[in-house]
Amino acid sequence: MALASAATDSPIQTTSETNDNNLQTFFVLHKASSRKSEKRSTGTGKTRRRIDLSPSSPKKTDKSEAERAEEWDERRYEHLRMEAFELVWSRIDLTIKDVLRGINTNVLNEIHSWVCESFNAIKSFGTLGFAEATRSFPIVAAATCKRLFTGLILTKNMEFVDDLLTFEELGLSLRSHGCHVANLSSMDFSAKNGIGGCLRGFLRQFLTTTLDAADISILASWYREQDNHDSPVVVIIDDMERCCGSVLSDFILMLSEWVLKIPIIILMGVSTTLDAPRNILPSNVLQRLCPSKFILGSPAERMDAVVEAVLVKQCSGFSVGHRAAVFLRNYFLNQDGTLTSFIRALKIACAQHFSMEPLSFILGDLLVEEKQKGEKICLLPEVILKHASQLPSYVRNQMADQTAKSLVHGFSELKRLQKCWSIVVLCLYEAGKCNKIRLLDLLCEALDPDLYISRASNNHVELDKDSGLGMASDRCKRRKYSTFQKGGIISQIVRKVRDLPAVMLYQLLKSWENITVDILEIHEKLKELQSVLRFEDGKLKQNVDDISKRHSSWSPLNIEKDSKAINEKAATLLDCLVRDYLRPMECIPLHEIVCFKNVEKLQLALIGDPRRRIQVDLLEFYKILQCSCCSKSGNVLLPSMHDTSVMYTLAQEHGDLINLHDWFQSFKTVVLQPSTKGKHKSKQSPLSKKRKHKYESENKSEASIQARFCRAVTELQITGLLRMPSRRRPDCVQRVAFGL
Amino acid sequence: MGKEESPQITRRTTRSSSSVTVAKNGVETTKTSDSRPLTINELVFGENPIGLDDLLSSFPSRRAQILELVRLLGPSNSPMLPIFIYGGSSTGKTSIILQIFRHLNRPFVYSSCLTCYSPRILFESILNQLLLHRKNAANGYSSAKRCERPSDFVNSLREALSNVINNLKGNSGKSSTKNLVGRADGSMVYLIFDNLELVREWDKSATILPFLFNLFDVLKMPEVGLIFVSNTSPDTYYSSMGYMEPIPVHFPDYTEDAIRQILMKNQVNRKLYLSFLDVVLRPFCRITRRVDELSTALAPLFEKYCEPVSDSGVVPNEEMKRVLFSHLQPYIAPSLNEVFKVSSQPSPEVKTNSEIKQKGSRRKSGGCEEIDELDFHMSTSAKYLLISAFLASRNPATLDASLFDPMGGFDSRKRKRKPSQKSLEQKETVEQELLMKGPGTFPLERLLAIFQCITSIAEGSIDEEEQGDEGLEVQGGDGRLMSDVLLQLSSLCNANFIIKGGSCPLEGLIRYRSTVSEDMVMKVARSLKFPLSKYLYRR
Amino acid sequence: MGRESAAEEALKLIRSRLCDPSFVFRAFSDSPESNYSKLKFIISSSVTEACNNSILLLGPRGSGKIAVLELVLKDLLLEYADMISVIRLNGLLHRDDNCAFKEIARQLCVEHQLIFSKMASFDDNSQFMIAMLRECGLAHKTIIFVLDEFDLFAQGKQRVLYSLLDAMQSVTSQAVVIGVSCRLDADQLLEKRVRSRFSHRKLLFLPPSQGDIERLLEHIFSLPIDSTLPHDYAVEFNAKLQNMLADDKFKQTINTHMNSDASVNDLLRFLFRAVSYMDSGSGLLSLEYFKTALSNIQRQPKLECIKDCSVLELYVLVCMKRLEVKEKNSYNFNAVMKEYKSIHDSFMTSDYYAQNVCLRAFEHLLHRELICFTDNRAYNQSVEFRPVKLLISFHELHQGLKSYRSCPAILLKLMDREA
Repeated sequence: MALASAATDSPIQTTSETNDNNLQTFFVLHKASSRKSEKRSTGTGKTRRRIDLSPSSPKKTDKSEAERAEEWDERRYEHLRMEAFELVWSRIDLTIKDVLRGINTNVLNEIHSWVCESFNAIKSFGTLGFAEATRSFPIVAAATCKRLFTGLILTKNMEFVDDLLTFEELGLSLRSHGCHVANLSSMDFSAKNGIGGCLRGFLRQFLTTTLDAADISILASWYREQDNHDSPVVVIIDDMERCCGSVLSDFILMLSEWVLKIPIIILMGVSTTLDAPRNILPSNVLQRLCPSKFILGSPAERMDAVVEAVLVKQCSGFSVGHRAAVFLRNYFLNQDGTLTSFIRALKIACAQHFSMEPLSFILGDLLVEEKQKGEKICLLPEVILKHASQLPSYVRNQMADQTAKSLVHGFSELKRLQKCWSIVVLCLYEAGKCNKIRLLDLLCEALDPDLYISRASNNHVELDKDSGLGMASDRCKRRKYSTFQKGGIISQIVRKVRDLPAVMLYQLLKSWENITVDILEIHEKLKELQSVLRFEDGKLKQNVDDISKRHSSWSPLNIEKDSKAINEKAATLLDCLVRDYLRPMECIPLHEIVCFKNVEKLQLALIGDPRRRIQVDLLEFYKILQCSCCSKSGNVLLPSMHDTSVMYTLAQEHGDLINLHDWFQSFKTVVLQPSTKGKHKSKQSPLSKKRKHKYESENKSEASIQARFCRAVTELQITGLLRMPSRRRPDCVQRVAFGL
Repeated sequence: MGKEESPQITRRTTRSSSSVTVAKNGVETTKTSDSRPLTINELVFGENPIGLDDLLSSFPSRRAQILELVRLLGPSNSPMLPIFIYGGSSTGKTSIILQIFRHLNRPFVYSSCLTCYSPRILFESILNQLLLHRKNAANGYSSAKRCERPSDFVNSLREALSNVINNLKGNSGKSSTKNLVGRADGSMVYLIFDNLELVREWDKSATILPFLFNLFDVLKMPEVGLIFVSNTSPDTYYSSMGYMEPIPVHFPDYTEDAIRQILMKNQVNRKLYLSFLDVVLRPFCRITRRVDELSTALAPLFEKYCEPVSDSGVVPNEEMKRVLFSHLQPYIAPSLNEVFKVSSQPSPEVKTNSEIKQKGSRRKSGGCEEIDELDFHMSTSAKYLLISAFLASRNPATLDASLFDPMGGFDSRKRKRKPSQKSLEQKETVEQELLMKGPGTFPLERLLAIFQCITSIAEGSIDEEEQGDEGLEVQGGDGRLMSDVLLQLSSLCNANFIIKGGSCPLEGLIRYRSTVSEDMVMKVARSLKFPLSKYLYRR
Repeated sequence: MGRESAAEEALKLIRSRLCDPSFVFRAFSDSPESNYSKLKFIISSSVTEACNNSILLLGPRGSGKIAVLELVLKDLLLEYADMISVIRLNGLLHRDDNCAFKEIARQLCVEHQLIFSKMASFDDNSQFMIAMLRECGLAHKTIIFVLDEFDLFAQGKQRVLYSLLDAMQSVTSQAVVIGVSCRLDADQLLEKRVRSRFSHRKLLFLPPSQGDIERLLEHIFSLPIDSTLPHDYAVEFNAKLQNMLADDKFKQTINTHMNSDASVNDLLRFLFRAVSYMDSGSGLLSLEYFKTALSNIQRQPKLECIKDCSVLELYVLVCMKRLEVKEKNSYNFNAVMKEYKSIHDSFMTSDYYAQNVCLRAFEHLLHRELICFTDNRAYNQSVEFRPVKLLISFHELHQGLKSYRSCPAILLKLMDREA
């Protein structure tokens, strides 16, 4: 049990530590919610187990025996699942890292070559001996020599998180090329520490000794006395926008005084636009910079790359359902457009999947070795088969006999279909690239089961026509398509393919060819299409260069026509690919094992929506601390309730400003009233209290009530729902509820 | 360099045993010169001195100033009153005074108040130079003496100076026999304070500045000459009264033909460059007369100018000049109005950048228009927050109620017109406010209120933006956008789009202000298909 | 000894005289009613009578207070060598009490060959000072405290002054406190407890009279006949000097300078500059040197700045001036740009530039300090919104534009219209 709970906790833990903004939900009300979630999840686990158990129970005669075996299996499978999770996630993580690195390599190389060039440029101004280089007075030189070479790195994203890693990599790669690198961040350029603190932080990265009075001359002598004066000193400033302008400009001016003695090159990350340096720095400082800009891959591009590698090509068997995909997409677009959070979301999804889906450990095995998969599953005990037989998709597809064989077959089928699906998606993506279809959107549509079903029905309708006459049926079909899904991305792409210039079409087919290479049936179709193309190759060539020559005056018609014909063929191919092979996860039997669908959990984990959560929990707290005393009473305030929630419920009646005195009075009445009385009576409750419940009023002393009041108010303030009395209105607290 | 300084180094080592004939292998001396003991000759400029004529010729149109300075410095061993050199930046103050000392070959101590950004570092660097102390790994890059107070500084400065001067006296006595190049001339020591104008910022010019100006009287050492170099004229120091005013020497900004001469220096093809300057220099001089700005502005133009020219050595004749000019013409006006020119992708040999370029072009063609495409990524809620912040800064708070009512567009416009007709003069004042005070400030609550209105209004647009999945979107799109809005706010603050003063955002006491430019917001609004102009007061 | 070297020797001599205040003020020392004699009398009497005393030397900057004091002290040290020890403090350096006591202790230690410990605390030092006062009093030795920039000591808690004067009151000590200040109301700054202990004897230093100046000039410039200098050269030099001093134009030059600033040090600076022009060819002084020196030393910095401006910067200045004439009490860069645009629209000027260029010109003006921000705290407000003001008067600007070569006619026209 303990193990189980731990396992089920793990997603919650990751949640709480990853998006720190909704930590509060767990702190406030004495960490009740985490307990709740645990309880809930285990509860569900239990119920399912019971269900699973019931069919397998008649076999076993001895209940207790069954129980023990059950427990044992449980523990073992928990273990397997955790292993599987580790395996899968490590695989995914690795892939993502590789993809990102791949995206950055070009830019990093550019930057390095630029650094080398500018270093040579600085050296060309003249080489200095030790004495000149360490003297206090500057080298007499032209003004143009005193400019600092500055690389502005545009990280196309307002959010900064994604690029931290990038800048670290940049520093590492430059170091590996033998430059002296200092990574500074906006923390070093704070107005509080001023230029002194900035220099100290800057020098600390080169010198081992700690300095109390840092100045650049130290760096100069350091640079000269090691034999390291044949490589540049690179200063990387991660986030230029956040730096304090004055400190940064002091820093730059200071460096520019020494640039001939210390070949310093600055790299600044600019997260918004090129105007940012203009806005931050005064003109005389800009004058000292000799800027040149570099562009990192935009988040959308990275995102597509990651999605392609992880979700489409399926580096690990794990995949997400339609709704989950849509949620992820919206989260990326609407909430915070960082890849980091996307990956985090993916990880949470993965963890939850493995923690909830009892059969998910099979995924791990699938991942490890294809070979023994068969017998592995044959070895599976009855229980698992039972599990599998319970899977709704499995049931839906009436794979009647629940034998290991059918399971094995089911798995291989699953993998095959997945493969086909991903290939078709990639083809579509290829075709869509030229008009900037985002893979993420495409994915969402490709995963949509309803669309698939509608498509399928549509085929059955016009199968017969499809066989015979090609184009006309295509046309009308296209019309049908466009009718039943207007503006759908896939149909857009198909339409696009229809009017593609011949050259690009040729390239497109090429790309398709090497995408589809390892699924024969698709590859065949492609081949025959291409043979048609080759057949008209001569003409193609003609109208290729003819198009390029831009005078299609002579006999435009036939060329137009048969190029159109090719386009039609391609589109038809794409169409039937979509029809036959674009089969979303959720329409494949056994998909529950590999596919995560539970959006609500993900949403809860990612968008904690802390403020709302706090207030809801405060108002209906009895759901959390499930105490016997006050769970039954609806919205009637009882003295047994938790002080803070009582206070907050009372606060609901006031406006933005709450008069402390009234509030205290009503709180007191609630606390002192007998537990039976409702809040609606609380007006005459004081005197009623006077009459009956004297003994209560005496043992609850005024002081204690005040103390509780104060504590509750403080708690409310800590949760950020209250603002303490201002100087103008000393008797009122203000509610800070942003209309939430 | 190495060869130039090697004799001086050998001399430095062998001054005691006076023999000049030592192998002058500059390389190894420069390598190991840090291990050698520093001598008094560290204080002179170090390279072999230049004649007065070279000095005058190397600085065009500075003859008067150079001669005056040389006169004020006077013959060797003659005392001097403090000098105050001032003039605009990049008028050659520092280089000239340094070259003069190279010419005179007298010992001096230079310290720039830019590099020495605090009194302590200034004092210590001066003392280090006087005590011939060099920071290195051996002494842990620490300075010879630790002193922060002017009083300590004066005491240790006195003894350091007297040592140096005695040293020099003995030195000169010896050097009377054989006059050597690297040898300091005379027994005067000069202290040069550069970028003096920065000192005014240090402690609001309470103590340090008067102290520096009084240093000559405080020291009472006639062998010490003080030279102050400043960007600003002496009358800007009067605020910190209480000093003996030094002798002013003014460096005026260069005139146009002086600039021409300076730019002509070290040009390979003077004729060509001259014709180029004839074209461009006058208009540029009307904007700025600072040499550094001009040279940086003109360099790319000259490349453009040279593009048609086949060989660099050509001497342009008239119609060639005409051709070149007509080639250059279109580039002049833009570069006149450009302050900060960012060259993109300096390394053409990598093919990747070309690919990046075409990628960029593709992106643009993919997007609806080139111009109004936002060229960096923001999440939708951040965009809405940005817009609402902009509105909050631009609109007067009193009109919020009439501008944003959840009834939506038409209604709000109808209501908006009423007050605008009502109070024209108020509009004027608002306009003035905007011009004067810039974007107004607003509390967090107001921002969030506006944000909610906008998002509730714009839900429709969001939905049609996302085709497939209204189902998810409707069930709490607003709540979704609203959920971690505070995070969005902080990241907007980090991007300098919103400026805030104060502490934690839950403690709504702070007021915010959006500094984002209007066209930027317009871009954002267009990317959301959000009717911004409808909610912008008086637009 | 050639003419050249002789001239150089003479130049060195005169320069060293100009840089040595004690020599300069030697000129005034002989007359009986001069500050020198008064001060000397006071101090020597208090030394001989072994009593405490305190004096204030007041006078404008550069009127030679310290110089005269130093003269007096030097002479007294010659007279009573072992009865006087001098402690010199400077308000600029020892403003805060801790520093001051430490310095006093240090100098006392140096005077009496004791070991000074840097670690000594504030109380140690003050105790040490009082002890030393007592000791010296018993040894009939006078300690003279010279407090330069006396008014700075009067800032803050005045603990140094108090403990010093208090010690002089109570202990059987003999000390003289000499405050030197350029604030004539320096004694008004003192707290009551300090002032009550302070004897209000003051010496006022007045700017030199006509006769003084002439004596001074002769004293400084006349070369000694009997010295290393060749005799005939010295004679010739002195003769030239004499008839130059007699020359009215020369007197006039000197007077014009003295009218601008009257103190002796300013005169010395002026003379120094003039002498520095003396070329070793003739080796004689002449009137031209003084005239050029006068033109060089009397500057109008604002006009120079305006001459240094570029045309665009002039435009900005004129726009701001127009705004001020329009009684715009406060305006900022945006307002200036609006004005600039309106000028352009109305007159179709040739030079109309983008905002960022104008902003750069604006920042140049800020650096030249022809304009400045009216507030100095609004940091999170960007430059173009901060209110600014001109630092030059209408007249100066007008003059500057007139004297600016190739100044656009339109600007002059605008200014004339405003005038």
